Amino acid sequence: MKAKLTSSNRSRRQFLKALIVASFLPGAFVGAAHAQPVEINFWDMIWGPAEYAAVAQKLVDKFNASQNDIKVVYRSVPWDSWYQTYVTAIASGSAPDISTGGSFQAVQFYSMDEIYPVDELIEEMKKDGSLSDFSQSALDTVRYHDHYVALPWGNDIRAYLYRKDILAANGVAAPSTWEEFRAAAKKVTKNGVFGLVCSGDQNGFQLMVTAAVNNGGGLFDPDRKPAITGERAREALQFVSSLVKDGSVNPASAGYSYDDSAASFMRGESAFFLDNPNVTNSDNAPKDKIGILPPLKGPHGDLGTFNGANNIMVYKQSKHPKETLKFLRWWSENQLPLWTEGHAGNLPVRASLLKDPYFQNNPILKYTADNYIPIGKSLGAAASGTFPQLNVVDGDGFLNSLAQRIFQGEDPQGPAQDAQAYLKGIMSK
Amino acid sequence: MNSSITGGTRVWRARAKPLMTPELTTSAVLLFPSLLLLAVVIAYPIAQGFLYTFTDSSLLRPGSFVGMGNYGRLLQDRSFWHSLSFSAIFALSNVVGCYLLGLGLALMLQRDFPGRGLFRVLLLTPWIVPSLVAVVSWRWMVSDNGALANKIIAAFGGDPIYFLSNGNWTIVIVILIKIWVSFPFMMLSLLAALQAVDRSLYEAAEIDGATRWQAFMHVTMPEIRGVSIVLCILMTIWTVNDFDTPWLLARGGPANATENLVVHAYRYTFARNDVGMGATVSFVTLFILMALFLLVMRLTKGEHNAR
Amino acid sequence: MRANRPRWGITGTMTLIVLVINVPIIMMVLNSFQTTADIRSSTSLIPKSLTLANYVFLGSSTPFFTYLRNSVFTALGAAALSLAAAVPAGYALSRFRTGLLSVYSSALFAVQMFPIILALIPLFILFRAMGLIDNPLSVMIVYAVLNLPFVTWMARSYFDTIPRELEEAGLIDGCNHYSAFFRIVLPLTGPGLAAVSIFAFLMAYNEFFVANVFLRTQQTMTLPVGIQMFMQQFSTDWGSVMAASTLMMVPTLILFLFVQKFITHGAISGAVKG
Repeated sequence: MKAKLTSSNRSRRQFLKALIVASFLPGAFVGAAHAQPVEINFWDMIWGPAEYAAVAQKLVDKFNASQNDIKVVYRSVPWDSWYQTYVTAIASGSAPDISTGGSFQAVQFYSMDEIYPVDELIEEMKKDGSLSDFSQSALDTVRYHDHYVALPWGNDIRAYLYRKDILAANGVAAPSTWEEFRAAAKKVTKNGVFGLVCSGDQNGFQLMVTAAVNNGGGLFDPDRKPAITGERAREALQFVSSLVKDGSVNPASAGYSYDDSAASFMRGESAFFLDNPNVTNSDNAPKDKIGILPPLKGPHGDLGTFNGANNIMVYKQSKHPKETLKFLRWWSENQLPLWTEGHAGNLPVRASLLKDPYFQNNPILKYTADNYIPIGKSLGAAASGTFPQLNVVDGDGFLNSLAQRIFQGEDPQGPAQDAQAYLKGIMSK
Repeated sequence: MNSSITGGTRVWRARAKPLMTPELTTSAVLLFPSLLLLAVVIAYPIAQGFLYTFTDSSLLRPGSFVGMGNYGRLLQDRSFWHSLSFSAIFALSNVVGCYLLGLGLALMLQRDFPGRGLFRVLLLTPWIVPSLVAVVSWRWMVSDNGALANKIIAAFGGDPIYFLSNGNWTIVIVILIKIWVSFPFMMLSLLAALQAVDRSLYEAAEIDGATRWQAFMHVTMPEIRGVSIVLCILMTIWTVNDFDTPWLLARGGPANATENLVVHAYRYTFARNDVGMGATVSFVTLFILMALFLLVMRLTKGEHNAR
Repeated sequence: MRANRPRWGITGTMTLIVLVINVPIIMMVLNSFQTTADIRSSTSLIPKSLTLANYVFLGSSTPFFTYLRNSVFTALGAAALSLAAAVPAGYALSRFRTGLLSVYSSALFAVQMFPIILALIPLFILFRAMGLIDNPLSVMIVYAVLNLPFVTWMARSYFDTIPRELEEAGLIDGCNHYSAFFRIVLPLTGPGLAAVSIFAFLMAYNEFFVANVFLRTQQTMTLPVGIQMFMQQFSTDWGSVMAASTLMMVPTLILFLFVQKFITHGAISGAVKG
């Protein structure tokens, strides 16, 4: 039944309309006075054992409590299928504002125009002098086409740890060259104990890359051409293969995950283990029984080890890039608890954080900072700088196959050639 | 039909079959929701996917036209041929294995014995648990040198076998898991088919003096032949398209040993962000399945006509 | 004539077979009540000491119940969509014989052949444009189609068990086909349709692949995907992994017990004939 539009009705309607509009006005003023905090989504990978995520959440809460303009929502992301997680999020328009992730995630997504470069933050830090806290090589890992695609935060460096008890029981001294390492591994292999344990996942291929860069080579040559079948990489793979053929490597390695292999080492089932030395801080590590080897000398006398650069990136889909950069700066300067309480598995990039007693008083960590970080090389070695295809190299899985096949005892030529061809395919895109 | 129409017209209408009978309209209406779903989820993606095979698109960016480039790359790619051969081995082993196991159990369940109903249900657990649970429970049995399988081997004095580090053993394990998961469906379907066989045929055979085995070969098997073929085709299709089992066990590893066509396509799409190749692998899989299906249909039709 | 005495011999053999077939599941459940250390070191099949620690850990350090809620919600939606499409189609297949229906029947069989990953790529891009990524509706739609052949055939075979005379009686009394369906046939197939819907629910609940592609945030992730991620992280913690699997299996088993007597002769042969 329609009401008749009489004049009294009309004025009543107009009054009602005015009333409704007026009721929003105070809200508008109130809104301006007490601005709703801007909400930012921070996706953080799981960088340590179980306590890491809880400590990170606490740190985020601390930031939120310290000011009223920005509210950060923290989300812990498991490593499983990480690449798919981020690609799906970006593709669906539901990317976070800021995240950590794979070492080359930022540069690859930047090349697809999905990353907000952090140039402004770098400029700001240069002006007030705090940029000196970052080494030039660290900044190089995030510079692409003259833009800084992310802010470095961690060194995921690799070094050989060893069980003092096993070496002592066999009367073997800590090796310092490849030959000594091979002999030591062979000598201690008996009665269910092996010289080396590794895994068939990322840690496995990182062992291969470590060997290659240790020998002065890498997956690439200085011109960014695939060099897995090049002389230095070939020698390195041959060396690892010789360890397998000696019987010194735990045969379960090809099927192990990183966790399996670490647990095996901690249980005393192998003498040597390649990992970030920070793992000695985890709860199930028998700290007094574990030592760190000096950087091994390759057959040509080179030193080198794999260093995965961890960085923090900001997404173009972010609706609040300025506030996000503000949080990024705070996080970068205040993130010490991630190591001291959260037991993050990498080492800080900032020199000031490395000076903390947590690192300096720990002989293994101090040794790592002094001796390994300076010789760290990235996945792109022997080429310099970073480039987008490295993210596919990192996340695809073909390098896992390379590692698995060598750990299965296959002669390295075949796997190396297959990996080389695959890498060429990736680089040609 | 409208009874007010004159006799002559009605006769004409009855002879020429009308296009839209009430039955046809009703069927169309009843089918509409299904057709809509199929159009969106199957028809549109087939068309779109087919187009993608000619491009180098990624999930984030549409790509450019590359003609038959993807198909060419695929045929030259050794890992594709490996995925194809593994898919074939996986499917064949599973179908043979679960058919024999299913048939054997169905024959037993056909007879009347105490507890039959209960056993029938208890034999279904492998089919009804989620695929993840199936893989995890098997994986624990073979994972490392302390696993159940190795404890049993040790009890017999053998050395531990590192199943999941060895490509061939992992293939064996993935096939065993698939048979374990698939046989209940075979068993139930074959049981239904067995129970539908006319009893009088068996009685006739008995009168003719046939042994149990002869009755089985000459009465049972021919009678369930049609159903068996359909079941085997279905099971082949499901096995070729199975992503969960090889992926959850070992991600298609170790060293791509258990990577079948679906895992291959998945890696291209979601790990290499190469949608063009992913679509190409999927399409080639579809072509192969269709060709197989048509081949089997032709063979069995031929025999049907010959009978 | 064969003897009528109960065949205990077969019962005995069957018991053995059933036990062997179920060993993986039985071991999994037993392990879920032991600590990881005990699982590693135990020498016998029978557990020495039982504990609930794994379940407590699951509850406190994983979003298990969030995943469970997501799984149930998604599966319910998928089952509803499945039914909405499959029941009318099954009825049509049962009652009518038209050219359209025989084409549809073959098409349904062909749908089985489809490697779903082929659909996922264009669907991903389509759903992205519609804003449906990370939205359970996307997955419900895909599940409805994945289940469509089987659920349609099950529905059809139930309708086959309702004699047509009933509807024909209704038609003579003046109903059209639709009211005959709703007022006569549907009430009679209640239990059968309940079984069909539970089946559709189960297939959606157990599914991994599609959910893994479309639902990747904690708010929407389903159990199979969430637990699998948990297992990657805690892969050496067999106790927790077993507890997670056991818990995930429980709703499946309970629901299936309700439905199992409907997986009869008729349902399967209907599926096979189709």
